[in-house]
Amino acid sequence: MSEMANMDPEGIDAIRMTWNVWPRTKVEASKCVIPLAASIAPIRPHTDIPMLPYAPLRCKTCSAVLNAFARVDFMAKIWICPFCYQRNHFPPHYAMISETNLPGELYPQYTTVQYALQSFPDPNNSNAPQLPPVFVFVLDTCMIEEELEFVKSAMKQAIGLLPEHALVGFVSFGTQVQVHELGFSDMSKVYVFRGSKEISKEQVLEQLGLGSAGRRPTVGYLKVLQNGYTNTGVNRFLLPASDCEYTLDTLLDELQTDQWPVQAGHRASRCTGVALSVSAGLLAACLPGTGARIIALVGGPCTEGPGTIVSKDLSEPVRSHKDLDKDAAPYFKKAVKFYDSLAKQLVSQGHVLDLFASALDQVGIAEMKVAVERTGGLVVLAESFGHSVFKDSFKRVFEDGEHSLGLCFNGMLEINCSKDIKIQGVIGPCTSLEKKGPNVGDTVIGEGNTTAWKMCGLNKSTSLTVLFDLSSTERSNVPGAANSQFYLQFLTSYQDPEGKTMLRVTTVTRQWVDSTVSSEELLRGFDQETAAVVMARITSLKMETEEGFDATRWLDRNLIRLCSKFGDYRKDDPSSFTLNPCFSLFPQFMFNLRRSQFVQVFNNSPDETAYFRMLLNRENITNAAVMIQPSLISYSFNSLPQPALLDVASISADRILLLDSYFSIVVFHGMTIAQWRNMGYQNQPEHRAFAELLQAPQADAQMIIQERFPVPRLVVCDQHGSQARFLLAKLNPSATYNNSSDIAAGSDIIFTDDVSLQVFFEHLQRLAVQS
Amino acid sequence: MAAPVPPGAPRPGANARQQSPHPNFNPNFQTNPNSLADNMQNMNLNRPHSMPNSGPRPSPFGQPPPFPQSSVTAGFPVASPPMSRPGPPPGMVGRPAVIPAGPPQTTLPANVPPGRPVGLPVSHPPPFGSRPPPASLSSSTGGVVLPSSAFPSSGVSSASAAPPPSGARPSSFVSSSPLTGGPAGPMSRAPAGPSSNGPPAVGAGALPGAPRFPPAAIVSQPPVGPPPSMMSARAPAQAPTMRSVLGSSAVSSPQTPPLPSASSPFPAMTQARPPPLGSPYGPQTWSMQPQQGTQPPHIPGSTHAQPPRMFGMPQQALPNQAMTNIPPAMGQPGAPMSGSSKIDPNQIPRPIPNATPIVYETRHGNSANPPPPATSDYIVRDTGNCSPRYMRCTINQIPCTADLLTTSAMQLALLVQPMALPHPSEDPIQVVDFGESGPVRCSRCKGYINPFMKFIDQGRKFICNLCGFTDDTPRDYHCNLGPDGRRRDADERPELCRGTVEFVASKEYMVRDPMPAVYFFLIDVSMNAVQTGATAAACSAINQVISDLPEGTRTLVGIATFDSTIHFYNLKRALQQPLMLIVPDIQDVYTPLETDVIVQLSECRQHLELLLENIPTMFQTSTTAESCFGAAIKAAFLAMKSTGGKLLVFQSGKFSCTYSTFAVLEFLPSVGIGALSSREAEGRTNISASEKEAHKLLQPADKILKTMAIEFAEYQVCVDVFVTTQTYVDIASISVIPRTTGGQVYYYYPFSAVSDPAKLYNDLRWNITRPQGFEAVMRVRCSQGIQVQDYSGNFCKRIPTDVDLAGIDCDKCILVTLKHDDKLQDGSECGFQCALLYTTVYGQRRIRVTNLSLPCTNMLSNLFRSADLDTQFTCFLKQAAIEIPTCPLLQVRDHVTNLCINILLSYRKFCATVSSTGQLILPEALKLLPLYTLALIKSRGLRNDGRIDDRSFWFNYVSSLSTPLAIPLVYPRMFAIHNVDSKDGDESVLPPTIPLSSEHVCDDGIYLLENGEDALIYFGSSVDSSILQQLFGFTSVDEVPTQFVMQQFSNPLSKNFNDVVNVIRQQRCSYLRFTLCKKGDPSGMLFVSCMVEDKNANGPSYVEFLVHIHRQIQMKMS
Repeated sequence: MSEMANMDPEGIDAIRMTWNVWPRTKVEASKCVIPLAASIAPIRPHTDIPMLPYAPLRCKTCSAVLNAFARVDFMAKIWICPFCYQRNHFPPHYAMISETNLPGELYPQYTTVQYALQSFPDPNNSNAPQLPPVFVFVLDTCMIEEELEFVKSAMKQAIGLLPEHALVGFVSFGTQVQVHELGFSDMSKVYVFRGSKEISKEQVLEQLGLGSAGRRPTVGYLKVLQNGYTNTGVNRFLLPASDCEYTLDTLLDELQTDQWPVQAGHRASRCTGVALSVSAGLLAACLPGTGARIIALVGGPCTEGPGTIVSKDLSEPVRSHKDLDKDAAPYFKKAVKFYDSLAKQLVSQGHVLDLFASALDQVGIAEMKVAVERTGGLVVLAESFGHSVFKDSFKRVFEDGEHSLGLCFNGMLEINCSKDIKIQGVIGPCTSLEKKGPNVGDTVIGEGNTTAWKMCGLNKSTSLTVLFDLSSTERSNVPGAANSQFYLQFLTSYQDPEGKTMLRVTTVTRQWVDSTVSSEELLRGFDQETAAVVMARITSLKMETEEGFDATRWLDRNLIRLCSKFGDYRKDDPSSFTLNPCFSLFPQFMFNLRRSQFVQVFNNSPDETAYFRMLLNRENITNAAVMIQPSLISYSFNSLPQPALLDVASISADRILLLDSYFSIVVFHGMTIAQWRNMGYQNQPEHRAFAELLQAPQADAQMIIQERFPVPRLVVCDQHGSQARFLLAKLNPSATYNNSSDIAAGSDIIFTDDVSLQVFFEHLQRLAVQS
Repeated sequence: MAAPVPPGAPRPGANARQQSPHPNFNPNFQTNPNSLADNMQNMNLNRPHSMPNSGPRPSPFGQPPPFPQSSVTAGFPVASPPMSRPGPPPGMVGRPAVIPAGPPQTTLPANVPPGRPVGLPVSHPPPFGSRPPPASLSSSTGGVVLPSSAFPSSGVSSASAAPPPSGARPSSFVSSSPLTGGPAGPMSRAPAGPSSNGPPAVGAGALPGAPRFPPAAIVSQPPVGPPPSMMSARAPAQAPTMRSVLGSSAVSSPQTPPLPSASSPFPAMTQARPPPLGSPYGPQTWSMQPQQGTQPPHIPGSTHAQPPRMFGMPQQALPNQAMTNIPPAMGQPGAPMSGSSKIDPNQIPRPIPNATPIVYETRHGNSANPPPPATSDYIVRDTGNCSPRYMRCTINQIPCTADLLTTSAMQLALLVQPMALPHPSEDPIQVVDFGESGPVRCSRCKGYINPFMKFIDQGRKFICNLCGFTDDTPRDYHCNLGPDGRRRDADERPELCRGTVEFVASKEYMVRDPMPAVYFFLIDVSMNAVQTGATAAACSAINQVISDLPEGTRTLVGIATFDSTIHFYNLKRALQQPLMLIVPDIQDVYTPLETDVIVQLSECRQHLELLLENIPTMFQTSTTAESCFGAAIKAAFLAMKSTGGKLLVFQSGKFSCTYSTFAVLEFLPSVGIGALSSREAEGRTNISASEKEAHKLLQPADKILKTMAIEFAEYQVCVDVFVTTQTYVDIASISVIPRTTGGQVYYYYPFSAVSDPAKLYNDLRWNITRPQGFEAVMRVRCSQGIQVQDYSGNFCKRIPTDVDLAGIDCDKCILVTLKHDDKLQDGSECGFQCALLYTTVYGQRRIRVTNLSLPCTNMLSNLFRSADLDTQFTCFLKQAAIEIPTCPLLQVRDHVTNLCINILLSYRKFCATVSSTGQLILPEALKLLPLYTLALIKSRGLRNDGRIDDRSFWFNYVSSLSTPLAIPLVYPRMFAIHNVDSKDGDESVLPPTIPLSSEHVCDDGIYLLENGEDALIYFGSSVDSSILQQLFGFTSVDEVPTQFVMQQFSNPLSKNFNDVVNVIRQQRCSYLRFTLCKKGDPSGMLFVSCMVEDKNANGPSYVEFLVHIHRQIQMKMS
């Protein structure tokens, strides 16, 4: 299912937009219902992207980077910025430029180019060594022995995988936080912080003996360069992986579960909040610009100190969506506030928080979300540290090679766009840098009020959704070709895994269209998949931020408006309704979105919802679409594997179904297949075909799993088995107990009162055509 | 460590014995550090230039005496044959004379005209010459009272009685002979002739036992009328004995040995009297020094059975006491004043140590027996009252009314040392188990059953001796009464026949299971501590002491170090190596682990040893200058909170961190820090400039430590702090915590890595191994009419009636002041009961009940006669210590002086019969009060020139100081050690003591001066190099090192010297901190400042002081 390889809808630019042709006015745009938005994957690798070993040229007024769309006067050695029309002279080293001797960025096909920059623009020291990445493991010890053993072995493996020069720190916590001084050779030495007390960055530094001296970059800068890394004493805590692997192994071997007593009927006292504060404080001692991640391995809810999400009393359950709705979650707001401030600190330091939560209960992802998402951290939610969802995902983080995540640090995204285009904000793993400019929109969605965003952590697949708006002022509708195109330029600077500083510049152009004149063009520029995903992201955002937001209604209304605007029908005649093929899939996406975990949150815990939404926001369009509308493939003797309708009717006794709902992969054996398998036919040589049939979906599942992060949960089940619910929940309930009479033999029914897609469509048609 | 001598005997507990049936550790078993007589002998050394110690010194009477003495002295060639003179039997003799009528007084010879004495029954002895057996007389009179010296003296006396052996040394002589032959005679007589001063009569009566010597007191009784002795006069003739001693000490004589000699002396006395006047001899010729101290103890511990002498207290019988008159230079201070006389410095009262242990029965013939001096060596037989080691009263008879007490100007107080170390020969305290019901108690006042509860109605009821309530006897405790009105089983039941018993506490005495024995060590590892070797010394001491901790699963240990952060260690065996846990937040500390910070010793021994070895190197490169003392103890406390236990802190760094730390909590940090630094600066400069500021520095810097201390006490954490420093550390603040939690401060300043580790180790070892208890509560109950006014000592008091002691050990003493709330009945007895509920180191809950019942009296003279000098003085000392932080020093000194003056004034006014104001008359019992008072005024705590920390340490040290150690603290013992090899083999190890006066210090001598805590070794400027070589291994005084480690060389001198030191260490339960002093050096000045009888910047000479007192009295009289 590597669609990307096959189709690569995003191309070299890794950009997909809801509308590829934009109406000219704000009014028109708002009539389009689906907002103007672009989903970008800022550093998605592509073989065709050229690497330029020099610094880019920037427009002197708008600081946009020279790109393929600039008009160049080779004679005068001048280029005209397509954004502001400013004429810029080429600097002397571009003197050789000519029509036949173009620098890489001017090749028309290279709309995306990558510049390799020096890590520090230090004119005196061009050979500045790169800062090694820092990994601070923050390990929860409030768990049963068995879990702790799992997580310890995962950690040991991870440390073995780290690059040798990477710096490693280790913090464990339970009732208290223990910062291990790995550089102390005489014996194991830990600094212990109380879990119940909020602690500021300054306090952490002072108490760890990393006090203010030398932390000022101006003072420490040169020394740092001499040492290779900081001289602030932080190297007592952060050691190169190769140096401390043995120490850490020993330490992990001796590490016990939290020794503080837990009263009967109570939760363990776990101070996740302070542990994270302390770790962040520790990292604050690193030089600015150091790429660092806090890797939090959490086995339960925070019950102690700041960031507490639930009391220790077990009779009080962890908050549910209902509690949140009714404002009956006493700890929630405080905890969110705490993590929000932690996020601010981390962002200002440029460090990342990764969260690996493995517990049957919730651990507080809903509260910690803000810190993870703003810093661009990874998040994985599993049931146990022994589960493959955790184990394999965790390993992936540190693995090198083809499937490596390509973890990068200190990313910054800047967007330049043509006049009259406003940026409302970005949804996704980043933080607004509050950089004001003429292109900043009046209304804010997500991280807004800026044209620059910080992405402390980002990787190959990180995606962001940029929401645009148009200037409300009536433009002097200057006729002319110059104005028929608009440009968007995305500048992403970041530190690659080797510590090199890179800048990727993607410049795209799209067409303005006067939709009052030609809606056909507009229609053709519609990207249904992207639109569905953007709608899902906006819906999620609104559900989180707007009080009493009724997502289903809002989606329905928009869908109806969209259909009213773009459908072909006669007023008040539902049967006359037809939809342009460019829109035909959209209603079904909306149908599935309405039923998805993003909207129907009540089946999930707030933690799960937060987890799903974070992934929804950071994945590319294809993957996000799968989250909304899973893909279903059917395997049978009669045909090659083929996509099947996401409908209960696709179930058949002699088929195997492979459902990919992104978070879980379900291999579903029809009843007959299951029986055959149970009888062992696949082991008989004469039934090799059956063995192959059984094997095929498994192999495909593995392929999906390999590429995906976090690793999805693999569910292998049989029809009528209990695990079959993972499939049934996603299928269109065309056959329910209400209409069980008319189903095909071997198929199945779903016990639900949910409306089926057909019913949904009927209503949609009726409402769309209403005058 | 170099030649560590364990300060105390090893903890008995641990050893075999303990395990046995009574797990109870009874202190008894322990070896007792022999308490040798602490008294200083008072020597009559006259200008002893020539012979420092030897006995007989011819006392040239320097100035004064018209009497021939001088000549006599002269006559005598120096030392040699002291005996030659038929001296009057020394002190002893004198003592006995009791004058029924008035309080006899010994006058100082000076002014008094000779004639006087005669006439007066009580008489004051004429000045010098007049009184024949002055010394004796005086002593006799004095004798009555049991001055501390009494004891020893008795021994001496006996000796003296005997014909003086030719012995050159008086001392030896004296001592050796005591009981032997010589005595026999006297003894027998004694009883017989009551009349005489002789001890006998009364004594005899009192002590049926007969063979023993009657106590001096008894002797005195005899109305003989002999006037109180005059000091000077000494009838040579009379004195059958030749106690040179006596002679010499005209004044002193009184105190001298009352008893034994008494017998013989008497006669003399009588005679003496009259003639005295004339007697040329007067005084002194005999210069002998009584060095009784030396005597070999007759009774080795083993011989309980028949201790040679009993310390009887005749007193009851005797109406009066004798007094010593100090013939003051009359009005004028100036000696020369009245032409008549000057005070002879050799004759003024000085303490005389006793030699051999005395057996003392606490009650005799159903009445309380006044205890021997606290500083003497005695063996107690508990016959109903508790051993005076546990509890003693300032006055051994209780005034019936508050008015009477006020008139006497004395204080009524108890000094309670509930776990005091007994003499090894004493019987252990018996443990009584009443089973689940617990001990029988009075239902009203909750007093515990004791020998003074009176059973009536066939034993069915008993009357509480404390509150007077009549209780029903519990059925299973019932027993019929015998014909004598006592329960028939009284003698079988320890609680009915012993003054001190220990009850096994039942459940109702426990709020939780008895706590385990928890020892938590907290070590300073800041840069300074590491570099000065203090950390290494602490670690090494701890490492060695681990093996002394009680075995078993109940012993838990923990360890932490601190600099600007606190480092705990997880010692769990499961770990491959200890895990260091740092608590960096010193603003608001916490414990880093719930468990595993404190673990069973048996589980972590190896880790602990490894760790202790590593700590000094681990922090070798530390550059952290601060040490967060306050935060560290708080953190350690939190770790111990659930159990309680002992927290032993080794602190050496600056104390600063704490303040900033806590200041942050309450104030602006800058304020806190600023305030601190100024405090520190002032402390460093040892300000003495402004008294006001000094006070502040003597008080804890803020209340936080106090609050903390109270919390510690509440959770039964007892803190001891070992301060090993080179700088000012603000002891005033630090000490708040040990004081409140029943711990103490050990102070090593300036810390020396060479000489101090041995002491540190020994102090720590004693601290841990000495008898002690945990989570204790103490209350003193008194009979109706008297109530406890206040307690003072190292403890925490949350409710007025009880004191809480997180830790209590054998060295801690509590002062309990008493007041009247009603009248007492003359002739009745007043009971005191101290109940200490505590947990032993083996986890048993016990109640130690100590009972004392004393007679009540309406007679002022009885009060003076039964005053207990040591206790009274200790009481002074402690009260002065309490005032130091809040009053200007001048005022404290005046106050102390006035206390002394007022007592003497009262005595002079109401008891003395002397009419002339020209004599300073001292009650026999309190005759040393002026000397001690003077010494106190000049002591480190009351001097103006001391360092702030020294002063803080001093008054904190005093607060828990026991009676036997209180006196040497201010009036140390001094020995000559350059000739320690010259003594005879059969004498006690200790050489004779020398008065603290520079005239007794020779340039060619080496002297050892010790006060129970510190020891100074002083080198004269022209010490024989061979002696130096033998003792110290260097040949010239110039080579005297600054730091000293005891070494033993293979020569008798060195061996003896070591023996001496070891004996002292045992006596004091202290390893002693040695300082070498050299004439002409600052160190020499230190030594000189200990010569309290000299005039110096801190106060007048002894003689001048007496004159001053006399004048004051005269002024007030008129």
